[in-house]
Amino acid sequence: MEIHVPDLVWSIINFFILVAILTKFLYKPLLGLLDKRKLEIEQNLEQAETAKTESIQAKEEYLKLIQNSRQEAQGIIDRAVKVGEETKDGIIKQAREESEKITKRAQDAIHFEKEQALAQLRDEVSTLVVMAAGKVIDKSIEKEDHEKMIREFIQEVGDVS
Amino acid sequence: MLASPAYASAAAEGAEHSGPLFSIFGLDVSSSTTSLWGIIVVLALVAYFASRKLERIPTRRLQIAMELALESILSFLTGVMGSEKKARQYFPVLASLFIIILFSNYSGLIPGFGHTPGLKAPTSTLSVTAGLAIVVFFATHYYGVKAHGIKYFKHFIQPIPFLLPINIIEEFVRPLSLSLRLYGNVYGEEMVIAGLFALLPLFLPLPMMFLGLLFGFIQALVFTMLASIYISTASAEHH
Repeated sequence: MEIHVPDLVWSIINFFILVAILTKFLYKPLLGLLDKRKLEIEQNLEQAETAKTESIQAKEEYLKLIQNSRQEAQGIIDRAVKVGEETKDGIIKQAREESEKITKRAQDAIHFEKEQALAQLRDEVSTLVVMAAGKVIDKSIEKEDHEKMIREFIQEVGDVS
Repeated sequence: MLASPAYASAAAEGAEHSGPLFSIFGLDVSSSTTSLWGIIVVLALVAYFASRKLERIPTRRLQIAMELALESILSFLTGVMGSEKKARQYFPVLASLFIIILFSNYSGLIPGFGHTPGLKAPTSTLSVTAGLAIVVFFATHYYGVKAHGIKYFKHFIQPIPFLLPINIIEEFVRPLSLSLRLYGNVYGEEMVIAGLFALLPLFLPLPMMFLGLLFGFIQALVFTMLASIYISTASAEHH
């Protein structure tokens, strides 16, 4: 068990030669590749994470959009129904008013016609009565008396009718 | 089992320092150094082929295995050092320590290693384990100074200046314990396998070789773990 200086020196020299060779041909290329791969995997994972987040956001936005559209559609339907109801009510009201107006106009016309017929009848009756009375008594009577008689007659006739 | 002098000598013959094979720039090259070169060449080829055509989503087994190995080492170092940032900062030194020790330990299990000139498990030599421990020693203080500047040396007189000699001794004991632990385990295992091989070459060493797989891994892990603790402590914020 003794130390031989040449062997010792050679082992040191050889060791450094090995370090140089392995660093150039093994450590640098392979560790570089491992680093590159690690970085790539990290980037891919990051991208996947980002894509996942984006897809979740897109889904949320899409669902929100659908919900909004649904609400909007419901609003439109509600408004349309309301407008329809209002229109219906308006039409019915208008029709009712119109019918009332027509009915009133018809009643007024009937009433007017009736009044007119009665007045005409009254005139004709008075004329006939005067003529009849004239023939009966065959004498002329004073105009004032004549009119008074007519009125009384008509009154009586009116009461009877 | 090593009671017989014949087995003991056979084992020792294979595992001990086998002397220089040749020299480069005046530095003797022994079997452990050539084996270390062989291991480095194999590792370099594996590294080259593993990272030649890297795929974003791997389908090649070699790339998958290397990714798994590196991630496991990084995860282990992160656990020991407390943060991935720190583990990555010291990853080249610590991971290389683990890999070279592991392969050096396992090289001893290949038939012929320890018996053939030029082939010997590098970590079964104290000089090699000491060299690696010295690397850890200097790396620890280098990273300590890098992190804290000259203030780093204040910890030698903490909590009280009286402890300075003990702190210094502690610093030098660390590489000693690192190198001796690794060397002792691998050398001991080699000796046992060599002894068993001498007794019955076919089946007897097999259980010990399986255990050797486990021990080799554990020793590499322990060495790397201690080194990472030393470095992590030296460069810690509260230092």
